[in-house]
Amino acid sequence: MRFAKIALPLLAFFMCSCRVSFAQDVPYQRILHSDREPQNWLTYGGNYASQRFSRLAQINSKNVSQLKVAWIYQPSRAVSNVETSPIVVDGIMYVTEPPSTVTAIDARTALRLWSWSPKMPQHLVLIGLYGNSRGVAILDNTVFVGTADAHLVALDAKTGGVKWDVHVADNRFGYSMSGPPLAIKGKVIVGTGGSEAAVRGLLDCYDAKTGKRLWRFWTVPRVGEPGAETWGNGAAQSAGGTTWNNGSYDPETKTVYWGTGNPAPDFNDDDRPGDNLYTCSLIALDADTGKLKWYFQFSPHENHDWDSAEPPVLFDAKINGKMRRLVALANRNAFYYVLDRDTGQFITGVPFAKETWAKGLDAKGRPILNPNQQPTLGAGTLVYPSITGAVDWPSPSYSPLTGLFYVSVHETGAYYIKGTGKIEPGFPKGIVGGGGVRALAGEQSYGAIRALEATTGKLRWQFKLFSTAWVGTLATAGNLVFTGSDEGNFFALDATTGKPLWQFYMGHGLRSNPVTYEVNGKQYVFATAGNAYVAFELP
Amino acid sequence: MGPNIQGIPFSLGMEATTNVIKNGMAGGMPAFGGQLSAAQIQQVVQYLLTLKHQDTYKVTGDPQKGSEVYKSAGCANCHMIHGQGGDSAPDLSNIGALRDPGYLHTTILYPGSDLPQQHLFLETGGKLDYLFVHLVTKEGRAFDGTRVVEDSFRIVIEDANGNFHSFDKADLRELKELPGKSLMPSYKGKLSDAEVNDLVAYLTSLKEAQ
Repeated sequence: MRFAKIALPLLAFFMCSCRVSFAQDVPYQRILHSDREPQNWLTYGGNYASQRFSRLAQINSKNVSQLKVAWIYQPSRAVSNVETSPIVVDGIMYVTEPPSTVTAIDARTALRLWSWSPKMPQHLVLIGLYGNSRGVAILDNTVFVGTADAHLVALDAKTGGVKWDVHVADNRFGYSMSGPPLAIKGKVIVGTGGSEAAVRGLLDCYDAKTGKRLWRFWTVPRVGEPGAETWGNGAAQSAGGTTWNNGSYDPETKTVYWGTGNPAPDFNDDDRPGDNLYTCSLIALDADTGKLKWYFQFSPHENHDWDSAEPPVLFDAKINGKMRRLVALANRNAFYYVLDRDTGQFITGVPFAKETWAKGLDAKGRPILNPNQQPTLGAGTLVYPSITGAVDWPSPSYSPLTGLFYVSVHETGAYYIKGTGKIEPGFPKGIVGGGGVRALAGEQSYGAIRALEATTGKLRWQFKLFSTAWVGTLATAGNLVFTGSDEGNFFALDATTGKPLWQFYMGHGLRSNPVTYEVNGKQYVFATAGNAYVAFELP
Repeated sequence: MGPNIQGIPFSLGMEATTNVIKNGMAGGMPAFGGQLSAAQIQQVVQYLLTLKHQDTYKVTGDPQKGSEVYKSAGCANCHMIHGQGGDSAPDLSNIGALRDPGYLHTTILYPGSDLPQQHLFLETGGKLDYLFVHLVTKEGRAFDGTRVVEDSFRIVIEDANGNFHSFDKADLRELKELPGKSLMPSYKGKLSDAEVNDLVAYLTSLKEAQ
């Protein structure tokens, strides 16, 4: 269904003081040099390096306490826990609404320009997922979205009209999409979820103009393929390693970086002895061919559901006096990693949250396991972190000004219980978890916003929260970090000290990554909570 | 066979318990979200809350006499039953359904020893565990009271007179949590054993709205 486009440019002509000129065309060169136009937010991660850092500084640590609501947008039908992180281009904001609706709104007024919703199958299969969408990608004059029934759809950025629609994977097996695609030169890259349905993970690349598939990388091999030996006897039906979040891109080397999820079944590992490549890994692929350049596996033979799907952050910094090209990641397994992004070489890795499963990492970054930290039958084994990990899908941010990596941390453990569930042939009937968890709560569970030295992982400061937050962080040149809590607070911290400077109660826990943008010379900060999409401005 | 669910809301937390009933658990517990409404799921959670203790206390008192003890001991100055009484302490109209007799007996003698915990319940926007707090504003004004609700940035307390006070933590010089303390005085030594037992019997009889 498509809504009529509102003639906003015409309206603006008569209201010259508030005039906004829309120019939706976003060629690759604009995204490549997104730092030249900080008024816009052109990719999910703010730039190809997924740094979620904005050079806008009109809102800064001196005046942030004056922030007030500029507008609130709500979908036409009630949804809950919106998780979208918008793209903003020349005064237009592109957001998603659960499960897979795309809406373009005037970023100055919240007026809806158009909205598009896919027709979903009568029996949508969502196993271990809950039918949400975290955003879109834009390239040239096209907006791309992955849908809950695993289609990749290209929409006209001006009208919302469908340009092409490809069926990426079969939803009946549990393939589903919530993560935003990544648009690079002439190509769109997208992954899927479904590890809890025991699907085989994949990362696809499509021609941005035609929707033709250019390459596919399977994240778990079959018998005879490289890596199959890491699945013991189970390579014939090995599963998991899904690619359900967003990746990063290095245009200099044409390398795509993407995180992969857990092996299946989650907690019963009887049928999958070995490291289970390329699950719980960061994979570096040639953007032109999809060939694997290198991989780094954070949690070999994983059985706590600690996906490594967190967006990898690319940055350059000095290590031992030498400038290095780096990729860093705060992993769900509670370790912060810094790798060489050209080779995958392990540089450093330290815990950034309580963990009980590993003594540490060896010289190559492989975990040195503690005994008795695996899921067990019956009451289970208490392990930190919990099934939701020390982090989950919300994105961290990196400020080149402070050199700090800002991450929203879960401090909680869980009792991991091993069950008897195994992969069965045919369509899945439910979660192929092979066990479950009993989470901790109350005083045993809390959250924190932590600032780590990006090159070492050393804790610089933290701001504690009652709750384990599901909100990404946004760092700005105004020396601010914006983030939120599950309690419903959207707030700003001093990026250097962590001191709270402003908070606004949104009326519902936040579940998204905040962004910032500028229209008509005025900076806005944007976040969602519950059904509400809210922009803030200075008076 | 499922696990013993006695005390589950206290170990898992209200939200997690709600989610388990709604969504089930991998490898066993089915999801009831399709069969039960949100209100019905909350009723189940409330029922589970009543299963906290293996109650070994036997009710031997006389509820009629207990009603008189309730009046003479001054309970109604702070507590309310069916709209009658004070409002600075929890309403007791349905206390017999919410708390077992042993818990009531202990609380009358040692009010702060086992305060009810609700943990963080996000749908209501904050932390609700019963907690006595002492706070001092940056201007030097001190307040004592029980926490009504608290999140990472704000807190509302209720003082001994039943007045609510709302604060931004940024405006506080001191915020001290005093677990185990209660505004309620102990009745140990003030009431005889028989009077306490009668009072427990009376409170236990308060199970439905009038």
